[in-house]
Amino acid sequence: MPAEPVRLTHAVDTGKEELLLAGVRKTYGPATVLDVDRLVLTGGQVVCLVGENGAGKSTMMGVIAGSVQPDPGGEVTLSGDPLGAGTLHAQQLGVAMVSQEFPLVGQLSVAENLLLGRRPSQQRVFVDSRAMHAAAERMLAGIGLSVSTRRRVDSLAVAQRQMLEIAKALGTRPRVLILDEPTSALGPAESEHVLQLAREHAALGGIVILIGHRLNEVRDVGDRIIVLRNGRVVADLTPAEATEQRLVREMVGRELEGLVEVSAAQVGEPMFTARGLEAENFGPLDLEVHPGEIVGVAGLMGSGRSSLLHLILGARKPTGGRMTLGGKPYGPRNTAEAVAAGVGLVPEDRKGQGLLVDAPIRWNITLSILERISSRGLFLWPRPERREAARLVSAASVRCQTPEQPARSLSGGNQQRMIFGRWIAARPRLLLLDEPTRGVDVGAKAEIYKLIEEEREQGMAILVASSELEELLGICHRIVVLKHGRIAAAFERDSFSKERIIAAAAVGVQA
Amino acid sequence: MNRRELLRRLYDSPEIGIVLALIVTFVAFTIKNPLFASVSDLQNPLGIDLAGFGILAIGESLTIITGGIDLSVGSLVAFFVVVSAWINASMGVPVIFAFILTILFGIAWGLWHGFLITKLGVAPFVATLVTFIFAAGADEAIAPNPITIGSSTFLGVAGSNVGPVPIPVIMFLVIAVAAWVLLERTYIGRQLYAVGGNREAARLAGIRINRRIVMAYAISGGCAALVGIIEASRLTSGTADSVSGWELIAIASAVIGGVSLIGGQGRIIGIVAGAALLVVLQDGLVAINVNAYYQRMVVGVALLVAILVDRLRVRRLEHSARQAVRPDRAELPTAPEAEQLPSPAGGAG
Repeated sequence: MPAEPVRLTHAVDTGKEELLLAGVRKTYGPATVLDVDRLVLTGGQVVCLVGENGAGKSTMMGVIAGSVQPDPGGEVTLSGDPLGAGTLHAQQLGVAMVSQEFPLVGQLSVAENLLLGRRPSQQRVFVDSRAMHAAAERMLAGIGLSVSTRRRVDSLAVAQRQMLEIAKALGTRPRVLILDEPTSALGPAESEHVLQLAREHAALGGIVILIGHRLNEVRDVGDRIIVLRNGRVVADLTPAEATEQRLVREMVGRELEGLVEVSAAQVGEPMFTARGLEAENFGPLDLEVHPGEIVGVAGLMGSGRSSLLHLILGARKPTGGRMTLGGKPYGPRNTAEAVAAGVGLVPEDRKGQGLLVDAPIRWNITLSILERISSRGLFLWPRPERREAARLVSAASVRCQTPEQPARSLSGGNQQRMIFGRWIAARPRLLLLDEPTRGVDVGAKAEIYKLIEEEREQGMAILVASSELEELLGICHRIVVLKHGRIAAAFERDSFSKERIIAAAAVGVQA
Repeated sequence: MNRRELLRRLYDSPEIGIVLALIVTFVAFTIKNPLFASVSDLQNPLGIDLAGFGILAIGESLTIITGGIDLSVGSLVAFFVVVSAWINASMGVPVIFAFILTILFGIAWGLWHGFLITKLGVAPFVATLVTFIFAAGADEAIAPNPITIGSSTFLGVAGSNVGPVPIPVIMFLVIAVAAWVLLERTYIGRQLYAVGGNREAARLAGIRINRRIVMAYAISGGCAALVGIIEASRLTSGTADSVSGWELIAIASAVIGGVSLIGGQGRIIGIVAGAALLVVLQDGLVAINVNAYYQRMVVGVALLVAILVDRLRVRRLEHSARQAVRPDRAELPTAPEAEQLPSPAGGAG
């Protein structure tokens, strides 16, 4: 039950909502991606759905939200009303979905996005701007997000956009609220807030379905935890039954190896140093990363994690301070100079900053080494490039049928490994990782950690920014905590403490 | 590669429809008017028209592939018709140097577009629209009366052949091959696609995106200047307002040939076929005595059909990709069907 008074002003329809899936199947050619005999979800509960990539979670949600047409013969009903006539119909019946893809219109304001398609006034032609902003402010207040309703959405940070999506969905007073990894872009405090909103919405009688990747969260928030594997429901658990081990076993169908063993970092000259690094709303900041060392960057959203990485990559201009790389002065004027000097970035927003979605895997994976694999510094012959692409695909364990298939056909975890492959290829001296496992499942996470560890062993210096504290605690030698663009605290591995890191990030106390 | 796979790849390649359409229209016009396929018709107008539209379309396509557009090329051709004649006939600069100066002028103008776009952040549409308007007036200012070209070398550009092939056609072929090599066989070409496909991803991967963009506009400007020289030679004088609307033909050729206006996609073979189809339609309709206003309408319909066919093809590919490619299932030990799935559609790009 909510610890704070319920702030949501809207109410779902009274009466017990009931979502029924019976005999629902979805096949693509010979592959069955969803096969549910009977599943009943009732209002007033937060139902968590977990499973590896390809387990059928998104397909199942698509069936409920109307974006996926199931094979004929099944039955999907919401308190007796049949679903399955497209997304618009599902929305009208009260199904709202918050997806990971943020379908917001970047050029429009926060208020316009929130009320897109739902003009607040009775006027038919003109938008009543004042009423619109007032309504939008109420919606934002409901979820505790404080941004101006007049700001353009593309000026917001990823985490803020995620919150906005949730506000938009809640604003429709849905009978079924589907949250697809709502916290993957958020830091600990914001995550907790979102989970609280989910609980509150369930408490009002709505059905809340939450697709989760963080198992502790799932156990924390879920009244009922359903595990999918190969399109089937393989476990339907209470929170008490759903231990982390049990969940992982059910999801993977096999025991998962633990996180990578962290071996001692090399000592000696630092690979990278920053002294008094400053930019607008950032710094001054001192930082060192040694060869073979993994340094984590923790902090709340807006604390400057991404700014730090972008400053090092030359994607943002510093206003002061000095940096060195490999002992030499380093001050890239643009990303090209940074990459040439030996810095690489696996960006936070895979789709917006990383992928050439329509291009083949080969194009994606050789993107940062095109000049190097060209003969006479110009000609890119197909044979050496294909050879290189095949090598990188296997080095980064990208699962695909051929490097010629388009990047869009890969799952999230595979796409992320492909971007890793791009930087394995470039062999940077300093590798910057921004949310390296955002939106990938448990199994794929472990493999990405393994890739990171392999690169570290080769002597690469690695700087990881992440909003997932467990991740940093699991793989880093050292963690620095940012707050308002400055280092609030730093922890060596033997003094790692989740509580103190959270405290430093939230309060900024030097521990 | 066996024959079936070759057929399949042909079937999946984006350019196949346009090449077939080109052959069908050409044959149709020839049946109606056998002279259409005669050597003299193939040389002029078909060959020289194709050279002009084709060279322009190739330059234009480079800018579209980077995610931009160049609206200036039509006006620039008209401008360089006058400028090339003026440099040679009025200034007395020898023909070869006049040509070099004209082309350098065209490249410089393209560099200016690139500067506006990359350094000042002007939208490509706007940056080149300014030139479109400016150059349309500038040619009249320079040559209120036509500047007669006396040099036989200059006139020989459009007027002489190597064997049976007109010189402009040879220029076009050289440029088409060079552009193909650039796009398909150099890292620079790949980077042009990457800049158009996802600019931010290209930037973060260490690509000098501004250089690539500037380069595309410079090449487009140079192509416009070369076409200006060819047209001046064909008209035998530097006449103002000699051509109009060619930028739209260049853009239409690119789109018909499979160049995505969003950027990041398109190949030389399609662009060349697109330009050829428009030339065949335009000259073919003349050859069978169809009124001028119907010609534009037919070109419009051809554009529409090309776009619709391409959408259908893309949908079919996406559909089959969804069916065939579920690679994440391969990691699940209980998915034996993963191995039996048909292979995905052949190389994109």
